[in-house]
Amino acid sequence: MPASSESIAIRLNAVSKTFPGAAAPAVTALDLEIPEGNIVALVGPSGCGKTTTLKMINRLIEPTSGSIEVLGQPQEAVPAYELRRRIGYVIQQVGLFPHQTIRRNVGTVPELLGWDRAEIDQRVEELVELVGLDAATLDRYPPELSGGQRQRVGVARALAADPPILLMDEPYSAVDPVVRERLQDELLDLQSKVGKTIVLVTHDIDEAIRLADRTAILDVGGILRQYDTSENLLRHPASPFVASFLGRERGLRRLALRTVNDIVPMRGPALSSTDGIELAVSIMADHATSWVAIVDADRLIGWVDAKSIAAASNGTLLGALPIEPFVSRVAPQTPLREALDTILTSSSRIACIVDDHDHFVGMITIDQLAEGLE
Amino acid sequence: MRSLFTLEPSGSIVASTAESFIWWGWIGDHLDDIWQRTVEHLVLTAIAIVVGFVISALLAALAIRLRWTYGPITIIGSLLYTIPSLALFALLIPITGLGLVTAEIALVSYTILILVRNIVSGMDGVPPEVREAADAMGYRPGRRLLRVELPLALPAIIAGLRIATVTVIGLVTVTALIGNGGYGAFINDGLSRDFSTPIVVGTVLSVVLAVLADLAFAMLERLLTPWNRGSSSGRGVS
Repeated sequence: MPASSESIAIRLNAVSKTFPGAAAPAVTALDLEIPEGNIVALVGPSGCGKTTTLKMINRLIEPTSGSIEVLGQPQEAVPAYELRRRIGYVIQQVGLFPHQTIRRNVGTVPELLGWDRAEIDQRVEELVELVGLDAATLDRYPPELSGGQRQRVGVARALAADPPILLMDEPYSAVDPVVRERLQDELLDLQSKVGKTIVLVTHDIDEAIRLADRTAILDVGGILRQYDTSENLLRHPASPFVASFLGRERGLRRLALRTVNDIVPMRGPALSSTDGIELAVSIMADHATSWVAIVDADRLIGWVDAKSIAAASNGTLLGALPIEPFVSRVAPQTPLREALDTILTSSSRIACIVDDHDHFVGMITIDQLAEGLE
Repeated sequence: MRSLFTLEPSGSIVASTAESFIWWGWIGDHLDDIWQRTVEHLVLTAIAIVVGFVISALLAALAIRLRWTYGPITIIGSLLYTIPSLALFALLIPITGLGLVTAEIALVSYTILILVRNIVSGMDGVPPEVREAADAMGYRPGRRLLRVELPLALPAIIAGLRIATVTVIGLVTVTALIGNGGYGAFINDGLSRDFSTPIVVGTVLSVVLAVLADLAFAMLERLLTPWNRGSSSGRGVS
């Protein structure tokens, strides 16, 4: 449960929903606190009421019983349409208005709020830049855009009146995996700038782990099984249901939560080009490698093969030997899961860490990854 | 036809009309009449379309609110559509007499089925996610209808108006039988005098008017739905 120091943006108290004619409730006595500024994911199998729960927050669906507080106010305190203008909404099918230009689409809520034309135009242009759209798309119509572009417009439209809360219903399931990953990165980047309270419905546990600060795992009938950070869910699933929902690759998924920065690298078999081959022979023996990395003034120059070293005469400096470029590189911000892949595909099972300024940070092996998870 | 173009040695053109299909001189002598009949024809059509549209919009609104009413409304519309116009006049004349009201009741009744069906299918064609997004953005129902639903239903509604208008323009010629002017008056005149020129004029003008009305609606649709102009957006609704 969230720490008491955080203020709660959305609070669900014993919320239930039974649709007319349905035998069983879609959501059953759900208590949930969504802290301000967090990304919270609602996940679960189909029929778990995650979308119903989301739509109850902005009253697209009215709860049968229980109450919902939004930003400290009961949600009935204002008419539904006013509540909705304060809550951004993004859906899978995007639902852009096909008969309006992108400019009009993005400006929808400011227009409903009665902003004047100049203010709306200025805001629309800011948003388009914020979500990474080309300003040239502003006067086009939605059908002329690609799926990924439409999704960005959807996000821009949801953020238009700067609502404190953003609801997203499977926002990325209609785009292909490459675009999805990029859009997910963009959301995290955007969130670091705007700091909204985001509630995200997804059926993709990896998406939840990747994006969410906390994840609520719901079972059929809208029964909350566990609500925790991704790290804790993966480490200590509360029940076999949660464990099976998280899947067999819990360890690998935990790797995805951390980056290379979180582990302590080793220096590895790295020498400077002014070192001699005798030093190279001993350092290769220490690390059981058939190469040494050449690092001059914190820069990774490349590597020298053991065969060239063996063929060279005594006293030769490494800089005089042929140097090959180093392929197995990771950055400090690379997720550990990706780093593991780089390590496994390198012949020596070692990856070099090189930061954005091209400085050599160190090397990592599988052993260090495993330690980093502890 | 031939006789019209052959030079008769002595006789006037009148002499040849017995076998001539059309006498151009008659047209020149009746330009004022033609103008007046055109106006009458247009007014009769416009009244039928406007009244028919208002009634159909109300019925469509009812059918959309209360779905079960759509079946009965369609059945009644179909019945009205299938009654031959002469039979309808015969039924109505004892009640509403000869004249405009009787004519318009018949004309309006032919538009109902087409217009209701197209309005309902246009509104049904609004994608559910667009409607949901409109609600979620905070549109209130009235504004949502005007700003989102109606514009998206417009191509289907205009398609209905096109068909209804073309149908009514054809039918207006029949209403001359109960004394309502329009191009039908030329046809009646021609039939009663066994004189083909006014019959041809009335028929041709009626067809021309229908084609022009159809084109006008096509242009109106193009004007009102700029988002459908690009070739990439193939949201054809009929």
